[in-house]
Amino acid sequence: MKLDVWLYGVLRKYGTDPSQIGFARVNAELPAGASMGDLLAMLHLPTQERGITFVNGNLSALPGFQPDLGHVFEDGDRVALFDLKSMWPFQYRNGAAMTEAMRQAVAENPESLLHHQHGDEDSRGEDQEQ
Amino acid sequence: MWILRINMTDRTSKWEAVPERFRTLYGRALTSKIVAEEVPPLCHALGPNNKLVFSAGIVTSTPAPTSARISVGCKSPLTGGIKEANAGTSWGPDLASMRIRALIVEGLPQDTDKFWGTFIHWDKDAQKPVVEFFDASEYTGKDVYESYPMIYQRFEGRISIASIGNAGEYGYGNSGIVFNDQAKRPSRYAGRGGVGAVMASKRLKFIVLNEKGSPGVEIVDKALFDEGRKKMIDAIRTHPISKPKGGLNTYGTAVLVNILNEAGGLPTRNFSAGRFDGAPKTAGEAIFETNKERTGKEVYNHACSPGCIIQCSNTLFNPDKSERASCIEYESTWALGANLGVDDLDDIATMVHLCNAYGLDTIETGVTLGVAMEGGVIPFGDSKGAIQLIHEMGKGTPTGKMLGGGAEVAGKLLGVRRVPTVKGQAMPAYEPRAVKGIGITYATTTMGADHTAGYTICPEILGVSGKQDPLSPEGKAALSRAFQATTAFIDSSGHCLFIAFPILDIASGFEGFIQECNGVLGTNWSADDVVAYGAEVLKVERAFNEAAGIKAEADRLPEFMHLEPLPPHNQVFDVPDEALDSVFKEM
Repeated sequence: MKLDVWLYGVLRKYGTDPSQIGFARVNAELPAGASMGDLLAMLHLPTQERGITFVNGNLSALPGFQPDLGHVFEDGDRVALFDLKSMWPFQYRNGAAMTEAMRQAVAENPESLLHHQHGDEDSRGEDQEQ
Repeated sequence: MWILRINMTDRTSKWEAVPERFRTLYGRALTSKIVAEEVPPLCHALGPNNKLVFSAGIVTSTPAPTSARISVGCKSPLTGGIKEANAGTSWGPDLASMRIRALIVEGLPQDTDKFWGTFIHWDKDAQKPVVEFFDASEYTGKDVYESYPMIYQRFEGRISIASIGNAGEYGYGNSGIVFNDQAKRPSRYAGRGGVGAVMASKRLKFIVLNEKGSPGVEIVDKALFDEGRKKMIDAIRTHPISKPKGGLNTYGTAVLVNILNEAGGLPTRNFSAGRFDGAPKTAGEAIFETNKERTGKEVYNHACSPGCIIQCSNTLFNPDKSERASCIEYESTWALGANLGVDDLDDIATMVHLCNAYGLDTIETGVTLGVAMEGGVIPFGDSKGAIQLIHEMGKGTPTGKMLGGGAEVAGKLLGVRRVPTVKGQAMPAYEPRAVKGIGITYATTTMGADHTAGYTICPEILGVSGKQDPLSPEGKAALSRAFQATTAFIDSSGHCLFIAFPILDIASGFEGFIQECNGVLGTNWSADDVVAYGAEVLKVERAFNEAAGIKAEADRLPEFMHLEPLPPHNQVFDVPDEALDSVFKEM
């Protein structure tokens, strides 16, 4: 299957086309049933280097909060990966579309949606625990 | 401390003691209170009974980080309701340092041939500021990039300048008041709601300050203030959004373009879609990379005002390394970019610069041009045509003057149905059909559609409203109420709203924020007290609006947002009216 992958900011370096300024677009070919984890492995992109993530416009991860590693893609999905400098303050995403896994995670712990976690280099090792 | 009144009817000034009931009121809290007490709600916004009020925040002019904000209040010619617009500039701290708690400009002269300036400086012998007036007619009709250097030349020493551009002189509903930045650029705008036209209606073109020799702000409990200040600095310097070389310092506020575009919430071609193919070319990442390519080095952003340690203001450089525009905010690159179907960053920068030069609000301008494109004046994507129309607004041609009335006026003139305004004010860069929480705030804020009305600083807020599901319409309404109250407090504190990002996540930063305020004022406020303070500001503003005829029925989004599904999510704005009404019912 084919995925339309957008890499923003410093994640541009994981793309192959350097012609665009500030982003890179990758047409990724993956076997059917591939997941976010598989895509990141194919791009050689360590998951802790990404922050805000979207699948088809649905928020799937925030810095340090990644319930989407097992998300299984469908052919033609648009995937957008942002670097850790990107931000999306809560008041500007309150009510935005989320993936089902994100929605469930937020329902269990609403605080996780409100905060921007410290997904930077100082606390990278702890991110998965948060 | 004084309240300074400048009466433009006869060009006199008057000093008054600060009344006890204003003891803790600063910034937005004070401008709104004075407007509510002194301006008849049904007066004409450009008539003799409107007043223009300036007040700096609680900690402005102290060493508190990122706190050089000045609030401007009046009745708005754009919305017909109360207005507070604020800016980051040395002008705010300079006013506060001379112990002028509020500057009220009132009256208007019979002779409308002339424009005037006023020069306020500290008199060492009298230990008091003095007010002088000067004939500013020679600067009339010039854009502010022409007039500012002349004013800097006219006055000695370090001065700060508040002024209006051509848009104000023409009386446009779309006109701001401009203040200097740190490099003497006329680029820091209290942009929204037509405050520039109110200043111009009083025939006041400049307010020049020189605080040299002034005593500065009194701090009641210095030790407490210092403790709070240190916590704030630590929070700002460690948070990934606000730290040096962090999100804002690297990409500026335009860091949000790609995010909202991917979320399907970037209003495109006059709010007809939520995603724009060309958006990445107009984003903060592209500005950063373009500068790197053109200047040969990484360019991090600069401070708009003294004491800011976030430093989010960018500059776009030309290929010859000269400056093209500063600053290109998220709202500006969106309003003049995706909203017009334009993806040429250089043309967007030109438009931003022209808006600054002519005294126009970039949001109102972009949304007006989007409506004009929808109405067939020029096609979507025509950036050269858009540049020409901004020139027409600045030069005051008949077409330009009509567009200067703002998006709602343009919609009526052109028979356009899709007009994205609330209470007459153009909607900023977050699509309510994709981000429903912001839609609730747009609908219910006292200011008309406003993206800066609903920030949150209180980590407790979710707990406070924890009885409700934050994802439900009722839960979102409760959050919007709390956000609007905390924002009204930040706007009164003198801090930039962007301190909200670190202190929401870093508890000690939030403590420090309150300690700073308590240190300056000698108060003993808790988190609950600051939310209550903000809620009181909103009550005052809502009462003014109601008396001006803007009641709860005006707390609505435009009809097309309920009728037209927005791609790519194909959603309408479906928050029920009852939820919107619940935002302020309990207040």
